[in-house]
Amino acid sequence: MNKKKEMEFKPKNPTFSLQRTLAIAFKTINQFRRDRRTLVLLTIVPVITMLVFGLALSGEVNNVPIIIENNDVLYSGINLGSNITTVLEGDNRVTITYDTYVSGIDLVEKGKSYASILIPANFSQSIAHMLAFGNVTPSFYVYIDATSPTVRASVLGAVREAMEESIGDKGINLVQTLAHDGAEFTGLDVGIPAIIAFELIFLLVIVGVITVTREKIQGTQDRLFATPLKSSERLLGYVIGLLLIATIMVAIILIFGIFVFGAKVRGNAFLLIFAALLFGLAHVFMSVFLANFAQNELQAIQFAPLTAIPSMALGGLLIPVVGLPVWLQPVSYIVPLTYGINLFEGIMLKGWGFKELWVDFLVVGGMCLIFFVLAVISVRNRMRD
Amino acid sequence: MTVESEYVIETQDLVKIYKTGKVKAVNGLNLKIKKGEIYALIGANGSGKTTSLNMITGALFPTSGLIKVLGQEIPKNRRLITNYIGVAPQDYSIYYDLNLEENVRFFARLYGMKKAEFVPKYNELMQILRLEEKRKALAKNLSGGMKRRASIACALIHSPKIVFFDEATVGVDPVLRTFFWEYFRSLKKNGVTLVLTSHVMDEAEKADRIGLMRAGKLIAEGTPDQLKKEHNSSTIEEIFIKLSEGVIVDE
Repeated sequence: MNKKKEMEFKPKNPTFSLQRTLAIAFKTINQFRRDRRTLVLLTIVPVITMLVFGLALSGEVNNVPIIIENNDVLYSGINLGSNITTVLEGDNRVTITYDTYVSGIDLVEKGKSYASILIPANFSQSIAHMLAFGNVTPSFYVYIDATSPTVRASVLGAVREAMEESIGDKGINLVQTLAHDGAEFTGLDVGIPAIIAFELIFLLVIVGVITVTREKIQGTQDRLFATPLKSSERLLGYVIGLLLIATIMVAIILIFGIFVFGAKVRGNAFLLIFAALLFGLAHVFMSVFLANFAQNELQAIQFAPLTAIPSMALGGLLIPVVGLPVWLQPVSYIVPLTYGINLFEGIMLKGWGFKELWVDFLVVGGMCLIFFVLAVISVRNRMRD
Repeated sequence: MTVESEYVIETQDLVKIYKTGKVKAVNGLNLKIKKGEIYALIGANGSGKTTSLNMITGALFPTSGLIKVLGQEIPKNRRLITNYIGVAPQDYSIYYDLNLEENVRFFARLYGMKKAEFVPKYNELMQILRLEEKRKALAKNLSGGMKRRASIACALIHSPKIVFFDEATVGVDPVLRTFFWEYFRSLKKNGVTLVLTSHVMDEAEKADRIGLMRAGKLIAEGTPDQLKKEHNSSTIEEIFIKLSEGVIVDE
């Protein structure tokens, strides 16, 4: 049977191929290399947004949780410590819990509270002595988280006003100890982690949805089904390509932030990279899933405001989550940006590690897993009809 | 239908009903295409040519019926044959924001080609398709005919055994079209099977065999000469018009 021999071919059941995966990755990068304007815009927009909103909204926030230990005792019929706490209780900038100064410090270090205040036992007495003899300077101790300038301003503003109201403008020594090993940041320092988190969402959702949607518009998606490319390789290819683009963008922001604006960054660089990649990964998967709902590039772009606006409003980008109305705070826990900002701020500003941030890592990891499953289903689904 | 079959493509009672409509886009198609044949599927727009091709190449799931390509059941075993088929779809299916070379190289990589295999084949195709001067041009800036040729280059880069050209020569000028056919015949000589669709009837006369499609079915099939004799016509177009009148359109 001559014919049979001619017909022979070696059926190959393709196993995973790195070459095919990288083909998709490089293709994705090449496509956007051609469209630099989009990338530049996508990098600059979050920075400008941050600066504009940062300037417009820099000020005080409300409902900042603080801890007070009041040891002051009655002296000549007055307890100035109690007077101060009474005024503070009526100030909506702060929410007071009474506990010891030491456990307050612990809570501040853990990020559960923002300031621990100690009013010493002899506070009223020292004030009286100061007024009478002028030979003592009464002290008032505040252990404060200075990584968020707006939160710090609120707490100190409230404390100073309370003192003035109950004692008058006297020479009281407000002893500030800065939490997180003395980390103290200005508006711009604080902006950098938030910009990075926002950039990852903003850039990856737009670029990711566009990349996948383009395959649909150009008809290349059907074409790919006639090649040995597997859906897993396709997904991984997108991940590598998009994360490389995101890494470059984040690096640009960091370089600009540090060398041009002089932002301060502390914490473990490797942990930061890991957090950024994990957070980015979740959003690549998310964008592959979201691409299901876009039929063309115009619709793809519309996912940007859809994800960006709730993130900006509720994720702690403009107003720290503690500053949001209490009923709205739970909503911020379903906004991914909340965890991104927690992670990046925790690592970059507070020098935190896994120990303090494991909840946020867990949430972002969980997001990754959920969107990974949805992305796999999305890529698979398109093969059938 | 056995592996030893002399046909490289077989379909049996192939049916496709799209989710969005109740119309049977393909309604009981029975195709048998031999190795080394140039087979032209012709019919008006909407007659089911592209849908049939998409099912055969594994891009679209059939509603019912059987498909075998190179003896493998499609879509079940479609992965086994992807290295052996090349597809140039109707809508080009190239990446507009990549240049021509990047497009062809991308597909070559998907087929696992090494650089040493790619370069000579790529150069050959660029010469045959008269695209040598456009290698670095962005695909979106190519003319319609050039996009078509770029798409053909992507389909042929890995030297497939079966090539599917959907509306292969639309937008390609007549001189180049003649040249194309010469190349198609040289492929055939090397044992490559070509399946093409067209709504240009005189084009189809150059094929070895023709299948006339209407409302998702084959209404006539044979070599151009056979068909002309059978229907006592001098052109395929005439046959097509004649046969079309006899079919009640159920759309």
